[in-house]
Order: sequence, then C-alpha cells, then structure tokens
Amino acid sequence: MRAALAVLVLALLGLALLVGATGFGVPEAAILWELRLPRALLAALIGGGLGLSGAVLQGAVRNPLADPALLGIGGAAGLGVVLAFYWGLGLAFAPALPLAGLVGAALGCCVLFAFAGRAPSAPSLILAGVGLSALASAMQVLALAFAPNPYALAEVTFWLMGGLADRAPLHVALAAPPILLGGAIMLRLGRGLDALALGEETAASLGVPVGRTLALAAAGVALVVGAATAVGGGIGFVGLVVPHLLRPFLGERPSALLAGSARGGAALLLAADLVARAAPLLLPLSQEPPLGVLTALLGAPFLVRIARRMAP
Amino acid sequence: MIAWHDSPVVIGGRTILHRVAFRAKAGELVALVGPNGAGKSTLLRALAGLLPGAPKQDSRRVAWLPQGARCAWGLTVAEVAALGRIPHGDADPAPVERALAACGLLELRDSRIDRLSGGQARRAMLARVLAGEPAVLLLDEPTADLDPAAAHEVMALLRVRARAGACVVVVLHDLGLALQHATRMVVLADGRITADATPGDALPAAAAAFGLPYGLDKRPRLLPPVR
Amino acid sequence: MPRDGHPLSGPARWKKFFCFFLFTKRSAFFLLAFPAQAAPDIVSLNLCTDQYLLALAPERAAAVTFLARDPDLSVMAATAAGIPTVRADAEAVLALRPALVLAAPWGARATLDALVRRGVAVERITPPTDFAGIRATFRHLGARLGASDRAEALLAQMDDAPRAAQGAAIALEPRGLTAGPGSLRDAVLRAAGLANAGDGRQLSLEALARTPATLLVLAPPPAYPARATEFLAHPVLAHHPRREIPPRLTICGGPWTADAVALLAR
Repeated sequence: MRAALAVLVLALLGLALLVGATGFGVPEAAILWELRLPRALLAALIGGGLGLSGAVLQGAVRNPLADPALLGIGGAAGLGVVLAFYWGLGLAFAPALPLAGLVGAALGCCVLFAFAGRAPSAPSLILAGVGLSALASAMQVLALAFAPNPYALAEVTFWLMGGLADRAPLHVALAAPPILLGGAIMLRLGRGLDALALGEETAASLGVPVGRTLALAAAGVALVVGAATAVGGGIGFVGLVVPHLLRPFLGERPSALLAGSARGGAALLLAADLVARAAPLLLPLSQEPPLGVLTALLGAPFLVRIARRMAP
Repeated sequence: MIAWHDSPVVIGGRTILHRVAFRAKAGELVALVGPNGAGKSTLLRALAGLLPGAPKQDSRRVAWLPQGARCAWGLTVAEVAALGRIPHGDADPAPVERALAACGLLELRDSRIDRLSGGQARRAMLARVLAGEPAVLLLDEPTADLDPAAAHEVMALLRVRARAGACVVVVLHDLGLALQHATRMVVLADGRITADATPGDALPAAAAAFGLPYGLDKRPRLLPPVR
Repeated sequence: MPRDGHPLSGPARWKKFFCFFLFTKRSAFFLLAFPAQAAPDIVSLNLCTDQYLLALAPERAAAVTFLARDPDLSVMAATAAGIPTVRADAEAVLALRPALVLAAPWGARATLDALVRRGVAVERITPPTDFAGIRATFRHLGARLGASDRAEALLAQMDDAPRAAQGAAIALEPRGLTAGPGSLRDAVLRAAGLANAGDGRQLSLEALARTPATLLVLAPPPAYPARATEFLAHPVLAHHPRREIPPRLTICGGPWTADAVALLAR
C-alpha cells in the first residue's frame, strides 16, 4: 500500500508537469522549470506535510476529527503570516513569512494541547478549535484594519482560500526546509503516538516521555503548517481526509499511518491542484478554482461522515 | 519488589494518601481493598511512579494497568498486546504470543478491540501488561466488567505469575476474589492503611472499612454489625 | 457638549428642539423649491461621479466620498480636499439637503431607495468604457449640472492621441486579472495603437512566458506590501517590457483618460 502510494505520488508529479494554463503537454524549459515544477513540488511538499500533520495531530489528541485547519492551527499560522506580510517583514526578509507562520502555528498548538491534555471529548475539542479559528480570524481582520494597504482584507480573503498558482522557485526554497524538518520530526513519533492511544498516564508508565512527544508533535505540525500557510494560504482538510482514507488499508495504529499519510497527502494535493489547473482549460471559468476550496469541497463531507460515525 | 513510604499525597487541597508505608515482595499477590475514594488508585499510581514528583519507575520492570483502561483507536488485539513491548523497544513476537495465549485471546488476535465485549477488551488490556513480562504488575480493578468465571480466570492467571516470581498488586472491589486468590490483603480507608495481613486476618478490617456486617460462620444467619 | 449650566432645561429645551426641527423642515422645502444657482446642493456617492461633479461644477458639490481625496485614485483629489465627505448613509445625505444625488448604477441600493422615498432626485451614472462614452457622459452631465460650456472645454482638451505604439500589450490589474474587450483599459490600449492580449480572465503566467515581447501595462507598485501584486516578481516576467500608468487615469473614464493613451503612445 505504501509503495503504491509512492508510485501514485511520482505519477502525479509527472502529470503535474504536463498540465498548465497553456494546455496539456511538455512546455518549453522556462515554463517547465520556473512555473510547473515549483508548483508541483509545493503541492507534494505541502500536501505531504499536511497529511502527516493530520495523522500526528489525531494521534496526539486521540481524536479522528483533528486537522490542522479545523483545530485553528492553520488560522493561527495565517495570523502570523498576515501580520508579517502587511507590516513589510516579508519584503525585508523573505523567510520572515514562514517563520511568522511557524510562530503563529506553534502558539495555536500550545493552546490546543494544553486543552487536549485534559482529555476532552471529541465535540469539546472541535469546539476549542472553532474558538481558536474564530479568535485567529477576528485578530486577522483587526490587524488588517490597521494595515497600510487598504485592500489588505480583500486580498487576504482570496489568499485564505489557498492556492499554488504562479509560485516561483523562491517559494520552494522558503517552504521546503521547514516542511522537511517538521516531517522528519513527526515521522519519528510513531512509538510515542502508539503508546498515547492508551492515554497519557499509561504512555508514561510505558516509559514514553509524554510531554516531549507532544512538544515534538506541536513543533512538527507548526513547522509544516507555518510554511504551508506562508506559501499556499489556507489549505484545509488534507490532514483530516488522508488518515481517514488510509485506516482501512493500513490499520488504526498511529505509527502505521505516518509514512502513508505523508504520501497520501502529497497525492491528494497534487491531484486537487491538477483539477484546479485543468478546470479553466475544460470549463468556461475566468480563473482557477482556489485550491483550498477544492480540498474543502472534498473534506467537508468526510467531516460529517466521521462525526456521524463517532456519534453514539 | 516495590515499596512506597513517602510524604502524604495531597491533590487539590485534599489529602488522598496520608503517610502510608507499603511494600510488596516478589512472589506475592497483594489485594488492595477499600471503599471508593480510600486512595487505592492513588497508591497504585504512586507505586508506578506516575505521581508528580514521585521517583520514576523502570518501565521494563514495572507495568501499570489503569482502571477502565481503553484504547483510543480500533487496534487489533495483537497490536494492543504488542504495545506492552514499547518499554523494551523491540517487536519480539514471542512474549506477545505468550501473553495472548495466557489471556485466551489467540482466536481474537485480529479482532479490533473496539468491537469486542467489555470482558474481552479487558483481557486484551491485561495481555498488553503481560507482554512486557514485567517483574511488578500494578493492576487497577482488572476484573471489573468480567463475569464471575472470567474474573476467577484472571485472578488465577495472576496467581500463576506471582508463583513464577512476579510481584502483583491488584486493586479489587470483590472481597471474595481477594479472599480466594490473594496472598495478602491491604485495607485502605480514608487514605490510611487500616490492615495489612493475610486475607483472612484482614477481612474484619475490610468489612469495617466498607461498613459491612462481618462474620464467619458455617450456618447462614443475619450478622450483627461490627463495632 | 457641556451639559451643566445650560440656559434651557426641561420642557423649554424640548420646545426649542421642536422649533428647530420645524424650521429646518421648512427651509429644506424652500431650498428644494428655489435652488440657488451657486449653492452647494449636489452630493456624490461614488468615486467616478465624485470626479465628474468636481470637474464640471465644483461650486455645487455639497459632499463627495472620501475616496475622491485619495490622489492615487482620484484626479480631482486637490479639489476634493476642500469639499466635505459623506458616506452612503441616507440620514447623513438628507442632512445636507441635496437637490441631486449622483451615484453609480450599482451599490448603495437601500440608501438611494430611502433618498428617493424622501423626494430627493437621484441620478445613476454608468462610468463610460470608451472614449465615445466619455464624451456622451460629460455632455449629459454638463447639461444636467448647468455646465455645458465647461464640459465642452474639458472634452476639447482630449485630443485624439496618435496611434504611435505598436505590438501586443496586456493591462494587468491586481490578482493578475486582465482588462478584456469592452473595458476602458482595452479602449486605452487600442487608442494607443496596441493590440490587447488580455481577455478579461485571470492572467496566465504560462501564456505570458511564451510571448516575452508583450508589454505589461501596470499601476505603479504600491507603497505598502500587497499580496495582489506579488506575482509581478515572478522570474518568468523578468524580461517583459513594462509601462506604468497611474490608476487614477483609468479607474473612471474622463477627459483625463486621454493622458493614459499619451503615456502609452509616447
């Protein structure tokens, strides 16, 4: 299954290089290297990072509804990025954007894990995420009201819908290091997350450093979500959908889902981005459908399905 | 062997455990009994090294099973049992197989734990503890949810472990099980140890702690309250 | 407002308030019945009608929107600096007792409906999207505002710019949207002799990368950080020729739009 997913990711990466706004087929070098390749790489990196983040978050809070965007971590990262961008930090120093996203996401993770430590029920965890999302978006709007750019709010509305159109090699250079680092951290958490399935105390009795495991999970998620938000805007639901789709094949053990979710997330976002690119070629659209809207269209029914299955 | 004799345990301004001295040796099967809120689970946590500030225990030597243990995900029984190998950092299948066999779970090994009956799931949790082959087993009400036959089976299993040299401390609510299987009974009431003796000798104190009538008699008759 | 020591208190104060109310009602009636020629009696609720009003009859402008004072958006910013501003709010507009309210065909529906119900004349002006439309709009408004001479004088300055430029161009708006056929910017490009490569849809960097000679017609970069113009820094656009046109010349079509043609044809 994991090998099949890896093959699928490679196939989609290849396909992604063959589809663009000018049509299907191999384009000239400048378009291939400076437009299509960065975009395909970003879709794979961000999708893989978000899929893995979802699997790790679900294991850490022991809840199948956990997703970075749904729990407000994406919103918190967005707040950091918006503040850094509209106050000109991103112009002065490009890595300031992923760094600010990282700080926002890390704060969001801390709030959430502090709450999840008291083993909340699924609905109360989701409500905490709704609260964090609402707080983050309210603070974004408040911050934008003071921004020097009068159109900031309108721009951010589009940016929050997510998208990878017209990204440059610079964006890959900005996003890849934090996403790869966060992914490397998270891929090593399998044993700790397995033990956490039995609860934090039992995990501690099994010799697992629970505090450290949760801190590393938060750090990994924050690195990925911060960089993904800085470059791709608000792309949600990948972390929710991918582990859910893979459990019937890979089992429910959190450690068994990590590598698979990374590959599955990469495949899912590559496929969604292909749809976004192909849609204006096949349908009379004036612009690409935003990527985050496509993932939400896919993910929202899953959310309902999982919630319904969890209901007693 | 395992011991606790330390400062009182105060949680939220309430003294859960007063200064108690408890020790259990290899080969013993100690039943911890007492009414709800007496501090049994807290004493077990203290022994397991899970209280804040308490010395950590070697997780390969000491295993702890909490009250009402459950698993957040639908792991298979074999996967749950294999979690017991986490302290050893290996995936040695032999101890896992032995634990599954001891708990009578070989046929259910590929069943998801969230689809088992309460008793089966409880046995799977016990298999997790046994798979680590710990020298000290600290079990909080491992017989809850079990029918009488299954409860006796679990206690018999623990007795075999104790005879094989393990140190077993079990929180029990069923005094009958304690009388029948334990080598020693420790009675806790209001955070104090009120008796520590063979089950037969500790029974009056246990009954007193529960506020139950107590008597030993061949003929069935109404028993006058103690005190 | 200092409250203590007020000479009128209790019922007397209320009586005074009602007298004031009646008085203002009556004077509003007189103003509507006999409009004074030079009194500021026209309110504009849209950036474009702001500029038309200020260009044709500044002495009659009772209030314009705050956008009219923004030199990036408005060619009449200097004139607007001396005119009160108003939001699209029926109460605020009624307080100005306007003889005429100018607005765009879209937006502020509830406000304008309320004004019409109160008997205020409302005229919705569609901003023109080509040079013939600019002439028609200015002639119509000149007649409506009693400033036909000024309208003709302004239109006369609009010399037919030579079609001096050549080749393809694309007028870019924020977020990579392009000016398509039927838009004012399309008319500007064509008047300058350029072929508009934009289709009104979102820009495709890939298509643009294939035509490196296409002239990019842009607004000057904003002084503040903006997501909407970030794509202009993409390396595939590094070698495209660029020409900056101040957006105030093309946001609302007017005689000044000819200056944009001149900038391109230069």
